[in-house]
Parts: sequence; C-alpha cells; structure tokens
Amino acid sequence: MALKPVVPEYKAVETAWGKLINQKDAYKFGVRHIAAFSANLFQLMRIIEPDWEKRTAAISETAYGFNMAACAGDDPDDPYIRAYYDEWNIPEFCEKSAWLGAIWGDSGDEYEDMAGRVIQFTRNRVEKELDTCPWDIVGSEMCNMTTGMFTANFDLTAVGRQNEVCLNMCEARGCGDRHCRVVAERRDVTGLDKQDWLHHREQPQFPVHNTPEERTVKEGQILRNGKYTNAFGEEKSFDWAYNWVMAMGWVWSIQFPLVAMGDMCDDDDEFERLLKIVFSIAGKNEFIDFSSYEGLRDFLGVPHDIDKVDSRIMGSYIKTLLDCQLVPCEFTAFEKDETRIHCDCDDFVGRYEMAPLDELVVGYEAQWNGAVKTLLSPEFSVWFEGVDTEDMEIVIGKKIDNRMM
Amino acid sequence: MLFREDKTARADAEAVRKNVGWYCWTHDLVEVRGTDAHELLDYICVNNISDTVGVSKYTTMLNDEGKILDDTIVTCMAENVYWVSTLYGPKFQPLLKQYAEGKDVEWEDLTEVIGMYAVQGPKSLDMLNSMLETPIDDMKRFRMADNKIGDLPVRIHRSGFTGENGYEVYVKREELPQLHDLLAEASPKFDARELETLEVYVRSLPMEKGMALKQDMAGLTPSEAGLGWSVHMDKDFHGKEALETYEDQYKLVGIVLDEGRESYEDIAQNEPICHKGVQCGIVRQMIYGYTIDKNIGFAIVDKKFAEPGTLLTAGPNFAKVTVAEDKKFLD
Repeated sequence: MALKPVVPEYKAVETAWGKLINQKDAYKFGVRHIAAFSANLFQLMRIIEPDWEKRTAAISETAYGFNMAACAGDDPDDPYIRAYYDEWNIPEFCEKSAWLGAIWGDSGDEYEDMAGRVIQFTRNRVEKELDTCPWDIVGSEMCNMTTGMFTANFDLTAVGRQNEVCLNMCEARGCGDRHCRVVAERRDVTGLDKQDWLHHREQPQFPVHNTPEERTVKEGQILRNGKYTNAFGEEKSFDWAYNWVMAMGWVWSIQFPLVAMGDMCDDDDEFERLLKIVFSIAGKNEFIDFSSYEGLRDFLGVPHDIDKVDSRIMGSYIKTLLDCQLVPCEFTAFEKDETRIHCDCDDFVGRYEMAPLDELVVGYEAQWNGAVKTLLSPEFSVWFEGVDTEDMEIVIGKKIDNRMM
Repeated sequence: MLFREDKTARADAEAVRKNVGWYCWTHDLVEVRGTDAHELLDYICVNNISDTVGVSKYTTMLNDEGKILDDTIVTCMAENVYWVSTLYGPKFQPLLKQYAEGKDVEWEDLTEVIGMYAVQGPKSLDMLNSMLETPIDDMKRFRMADNKIGDLPVRIHRSGFTGENGYEVYVKREELPQLHDLLAEASPKFDARELETLEVYVRSLPMEKGMALKQDMAGLTPSEAGLGWSVHMDKDFHGKEALETYEDQYKLVGIVLDEGRESYEDIAQNEPICHKGVQCGIVRQMIYGYTIDKNIGFAIVDKKFAEPGTLLTAGPNFAKVTVAEDKKFLD
C-alpha cells in the first residue's frame, strides 16, 4: 500500500536520535521487558523460598485471591460479571459458568501476544493452545500461577463461586513444551476430584489436539490482524490491547509475585537487599558482550560519531523503554557525561494506577546501574533523584562509591 | 475450532442432518409495542415487516452508511406488538430510540424473561407433534403460534439456523429446565440428541447451508452480503439514501480449504486473504463442515476476486483456499 494515504494511521516511538520504532516492535519491546522484570522477581522468590512446592502454591493462591477480589459477593450474575457478558456479547444461550472463563482467558492471552487458538469450546470441555508467550522466560512457578488465575475466572462465573471443572495446564512453554495448553474438563463428566494448587499440571482426561508447527502462528491476532476478535465477533483494537497490557501486565506478573513474596519474607530490609542484588546482576549481564552493545546502537540509531562511553546511549535506551511502556517522561539533560530523564514518580510506579509498585524504582535503579557498567563503563552509574515526587529524575552519570555493588 | 476427528461434534451435526438435534437457543429479545410500532420497525428494517399476527420476517437493519448493523427476525405477536429476536439486543435499541420521538411506541427487553430451545432436523416435526397439544403439520415457515406441551404453555416458531426443517420453542425463562426435561424425555423415539458443541450449531451447520452471522457481514451492504433480495427499495428505510448511491466493492464469499491441508488452526477471524501474495480481503470464519467433510469458511473479498474457482490464500501461513461456487456449500 502506498504510504501517503495512511501516514496519519502509522504510529512509532522515536528514539533520541530520530530512529523510529514501529508500534508493533514498540509493543513487543515493552511487553518483553515486563516479562524480564518478572523473571528477575521469580529468581528472587527462589532465593527467599527454596521449596518449589511452597512458593508455587503461595503464588497460585495469591493470584487466585486477587482475581477473585474483583467481585465482592457470590452472585455469578453481579454487575461486574454481567458487564463482561455484555462487553463480549456472550449470547444468552451460552452456559456462562464454563464459557465466560474461557473467553476471558482467551482475550487476555491475545492482548499479551500469547498467540494461539481455542481448540475446543463445549459445555463439558475447553482446550486452549498457545504457540508463543513473552513470559516463557520466567519459569514453571509462573505457569502454575496462571492456573490460579484461570481457576478464579471459572469460579467467578460459577454458582456459589465454586467451579465445576478440572483445570490443567498440561503443557507450558515456561517448562520447555512446544505449546502452552490449558484444558478445563467438567468434573461431573470426568469423575475427577477438585484440585489443589500443586495439581493443575496433570494430563487431561480426553485427548488434546496438537497443532503441527507448520500451522502455528508467530504473533497474536492484535499484531497479525490489528485487532482481536472473539468467538462472538466482538473486537478489540491493537491500540486498546497495547494500553491494556502496559497496565495489566504489571499487575498479574509483577504485583502478584511481589505480594506473595511479602508473605514469604517478613524482613523488608532483607527483601530489598536481595532484590537489589538480583536486579543488579541481571543488568550487568544485559550488555556483557560486544554483539549486544552493537545491536543496541543499531536499535537506537546511535550516530557513528558517538563514542562507546557516552551517557546518552544508556539514557536513550532507558527513555526508549519507558516510551514503549507508555510511561510519560522527557530528557532534562542530554550530554556525553550526564543524561537526565524527568519522570513523575507516580507515572513511573503507577503503571496500573490503582496499584502502584514502589519496587519498580528499586528494581530498575539496580538493574540499570548494573547495565551501565557493561554498556558504557564502570565509571558510570544510574541513580534516581527525587523519588516519591513529581520531579523524579533518572540520572546517568559518573560516580565513585567505595562500596559499589 | 472443529476438527474432522471430533466424534462429539460429528454426532451433533449428524443428529440435525438426519434426525433431530435440540439445544438452548435463547436470544436477546426486545418487545416493541404501540400504535406506531409497525411504522417504526418497518422504517429501521430493509424488509417489509408484516403486521399479520403470527408472521415473522428475516431482515437486516442498516447504519447511516447503508452497512449492516444487525440481522434479526421480527415477529408480529399481536396487534401493535412485535418481537425482535437478535444476538445483539443492546446494539440496535439506539436505532429505535433515534426514530421513536413523537411516536406511540415503547419497547422492553424481554431477554431475561423469555427462553427458547431450538428443535432442528428432518424428524423435528414428528417429535414436536408427539409432544404438543395441537399438531403443527400445517404451520408454514416463519410463522409463530401458541401451543401447549402438557400443562406447559409454549410458543412455536417454525424457523431455525441450521438449514433443516426446524422449530423454536419459546417458554418463560424459569420454565426452560422443564422444557429441557420434556425434550430429553421425547428424544429416544426420534433418535434425537441434545447438542453439546456450540460451534456446530452456531457455525458449522449454518455455514454449510450458507447462513452467516451478523459479524460475518460487518461493513457490508445487504447486496454485498448476498442479502439484496431482502431489501425493498420501494419503501423508505434507514440507510436507503446511502444504498442508492453505493456501488458494491466487496462480496461475502464461501471459501474451501485445500484438501491437502488438514485444518485451519492458524486462520482466525480477520486473517488476510491474499491473491498472489497481495491482500484482497479478510477471513470472517473458518469451520469444519461434517456433512460435506471439508474445511470451509466465509471471507469478504474485493469483488474482482469473488469469482468461483479463484485461487487465494488465507492466514499467516498462506493456506490455499478456493472461492466456492456459492456461499451455500450444501443444498
């Protein structure tokens, strides 16, 4: 298609040097970095709670509780749930106890570029298969955690808030499988027992449909087709999904594990000490080799006459990430030895406004301070000034600290 | 999705094609009343709405641009009382409101009050006759009449969305479980089956017979959607002005997936349809048809590529599809 007639429709993030990152790549970059933050947090969780069963059960319970908290009562027809029926145009002839949960889950997957398909959608059985997942780097505990969220989706729409399905994530990309696969089967049909949190990874009763690789997809509907369409023809645009995931992605994949870890570790100072250590080394490893450094320069469009050791490279990287994650910010200094990015702290931590995450400041400060050591030089550091104020600044500059991490 | 090997879905489809299949089919239902009800409905619908009690009409409603807003069945229930049956009740009511000012008309959403089971298939008449107080042998298509099953008052509408002879049985919402049990009790004698697979009765059976959902026709005029026959240009209706000057650009067509390809897992709604690698349309829905044993679909394509036999591709992996002779795959 000729560019001229569609120029107003094309959107991009502009880097400090005028390189345009198209909206789809900006979305992917933003999403993957939420997943990376989540991966760091789960490493921290593994240090705090060495027992896989204990931490997995705890995070699943937390995720379930938060999803259930969306509704106060036990009426599956309450206004909150009813709004979903209307929003998704779920016809009256649908048995909502099974199908709302499935439709709900399917839409969330596609907004988050967890690309796949609803394999089966009947009263007695729902099967969902994913070919991709940006969070596939986080690990098995998160895959289990999502079964807690799915359970809540089914419970919310069931009479008495008790679902009637056996729900298994029988394959998970975070565990090395080719697909993610979630199957819900009615217990009154299968004769299976209600599960606890550690038994949502079993094989389903009925055979699954395994899509061969040549018929899989590489991107979600929002990226392939510019919109997500549900089984009943209701649609959400890519723009809508982008905004949604840049808020909700932080809730389920960052806030839920943080809350669970709060229960695992009573000592706030110790928690913060460990968090800084984990995020710091993650940052140092981000640009450890020549190719990652060269790749970043290309991604940002850094001019050839800018030297390797220049604060503007790290500054542009941070600014571009925040832009792609839809966080308002602006440069207040952009010089070789010092770059400053102004960002209202409320915007930085309040990706989902109702649930601000102070840990984003601690985590990103440690990570970027680690990253700048390998991207530029150990002479450089990254630190935040004016934290908790509307005049917060992220500073990339030179600093000497005799106890530097 | 539906697959060739899905035995439950196949049994559902076969029941409707060979015997009887029945299933809860409650739609959004809006009752429109008043001395101006007929005039209003006739204006917002492209088809002539009958004011004969017990007669229903299939019709579309258009937006300002003459594109399909909804497709519905409008039934005259009594003098100055009409039922509008649709899957999108909340979405067409603004159109009523737009033209109701100064008219003797009011409407009520009966969706929570009235429920319905569809009874579809060649033996549906025999099965219902075995249950009903008054036989319905003489009932014509698109007619509705009161009746009884034992003590249970019902309304029988001869209609359906499967392409087979069939009926819709309306009761009060709270009486749906009773109706369910009565249908289950009558089933064995007619090899009837309560359908389990939503996609069979919402998509597979109707698509084989060329029947589309509103979502398939989104953005099209009735003519582009193959519904030109229902438009009465000799009367006034909302969207007529736009239709008068519009020249068709697209066509809703049937497509058949290449026989060598087992299924359509990578082809969601709105996937691109391409001709020689260049996009010329979008997929509306792919499904498996158990009667014809083929993967079939609907697509909206540039009318230049709508000729039967045109080779196209669908989806991100460029699956080969052919434009079908007709949107209807099965007579």
